[in-house]
Amino acid sequence: MDEWHYDPTPDFDQTPIERLRGFPRHPNLFVYAARTLANLIVRLILRLGNRLEIEGREHLPAGESFVMVANHASHLDAPALLAALPLAQVHRAFPAAAADYFFTHLPVLAFSAIVMNAMPFDRKENPKQSIDACRQLLDARGHVLILFPEGTRTTDGSIGAFKPGIGFLAAGTDVPIVPCHIDGAFRAWPKGAWVPRPRKLKLRIGAPVRFRDMRRVKEDAVQIAETLRNRVIALQ
Amino acid sequence: MSDALHNPVFRIYFAVLMGLLVFAGALLAILRLALHKNVDHAWKAYRGWLIMIPPVFAALLIGRLATIVFFTAVAIGAFIEFARATGLYRDWWMTSIVILGITAVGVVSAIDDPDPAKHVHGWYGMLMALPVYVVAAIMMIPILRDRAKGQLQPIALSVVGFVYIGWMFGHLSFLANAKNAYGYLLYLLFAVPLNDIAAFTFGRAFGKTKMRPNISPNKTWAGSIGALAVSMLLPWLVRFSFPGFGTTELILTGVIVGIGGQLGDLTISVMKRDIGIKDMGAVIEGHGGVLDRVDSLIYVAPLFFHMARYFAGLS
Repeated sequence: MDEWHYDPTPDFDQTPIERLRGFPRHPNLFVYAARTLANLIVRLILRLGNRLEIEGREHLPAGESFVMVANHASHLDAPALLAALPLAQVHRAFPAAAADYFFTHLPVLAFSAIVMNAMPFDRKENPKQSIDACRQLLDARGHVLILFPEGTRTTDGSIGAFKPGIGFLAAGTDVPIVPCHIDGAFRAWPKGAWVPRPRKLKLRIGAPVRFRDMRRVKEDAVQIAETLRNRVIALQ
Repeated sequence: MSDALHNPVFRIYFAVLMGLLVFAGALLAILRLALHKNVDHAWKAYRGWLIMIPPVFAALLIGRLATIVFFTAVAIGAFIEFARATGLYRDWWMTSIVILGITAVGVVSAIDDPDPAKHVHGWYGMLMALPVYVVAAIMMIPILRDRAKGQLQPIALSVVGFVYIGWMFGHLSFLANAKNAYGYLLYLLFAVPLNDIAAFTFGRAFGKTKMRPNISPNKTWAGSIGALAVSMLLPWLVRFSFPGFGTTELILTGVIVGIGGQLGDLTISVMKRDIGIKDMGAVIEGHGGVLDRVDSLIYVAPLFFHMARYFAGLS
């Protein structure tokens, strides 16, 4: 009789915290169930509490990986963008989140990893490595990467400059980049406020853009970032 | 099972365990700080005990239902480790059915027997019948998804996962319904790890001949015999734990813990060695996974349960 072939999950010898902190995360029955339930609740809160309105869902590419880029003024931005996707897709959608802010303390780490399915983005020490990780994520079929190219939440609700990282990621690839504009999030939950307020939110999704003819050099990356910023502003 | 603080058995075990923890902590501190010995490994294991013991006592203190919920959660945690280590976890249908089955073990332990003539907590008849229903459900999955290739392995792993880890360990939950629940549970929770520690200590001190070199190379006959001797003696020392037990039952208790505990340890070692891993998980610092900690209890709990039920009755 042949020996059985066992195939332990790659994270079987990690502690639960290591599993949450690590990326890519391996599928976990309980995490999937908790994420589905939490996202249902978040969607309900956004719909009832913030009267979230979503326009342009038809622009979201089907059957291929894509990137959603948006202005960033609030912790409500990522949940609003996730709410635009079918519920089953939240396990394959990854908001890039600052590793130094979202992946250090346990309660925030647990929320980021379990509920938001966030991808740790090292914006300080090694952003290049994080962009490479984003690229690998987009190589797989059906993944959604959520990026806020301003790098942080704005303090006045305006749209700041987009960092060229998004340009390096998009240049020379066929990955569709979907510009999105979130209106009202700054009024609902600005930086520094402890709890969200029931202010109206509106998410507008624009037509996807591809940058396959651009080169992965600084000038082109800056140009791509500027183009995307203009597309987001145009959705206002 | 109620009012733990006024239960003399609970109070004695609590005091003894607190005393042992303080003693072990002081000993490790002296070895480390005064004698500058390297006790890192023992220190990690000690910290693991400090993390594990409070939830056990908290559950027992709260009462019957909390104890059942606690042991059911431990059984689910242990099964998930098994499923991760074997790769069964990738099959979410099989994994879910086994988790539901283990939850059912907890539920039938928690509810009252539907027979109004019995007036007892816990539905014993259904506990005994549950493997039939859960195995039937496991067998149904390949049929429902019309798949045959490679199905025997997940079926077999699920049956072992439920019957061995879920159901056999689940007998511990049902013991919470016993009139003498504190005595039985605290004895098992105290005696089984002590049996492991005795095997380790006697093995280190006198061990020469390896007992099962292909399964667990560190286990020796001296360790095994030493552990059996300690486990045979212990029931007489803590006889207050078993008010209904006579000589036969005390001897059987010693044999079940002394031999069953070691077989439980070796059973999980067989699985780990076959898979090719050292520990089943990493959730408890210094101890590995939940399954590494409860391996002996899985074997001992049902054997002790049925012996105690046969000779002394549960209610």
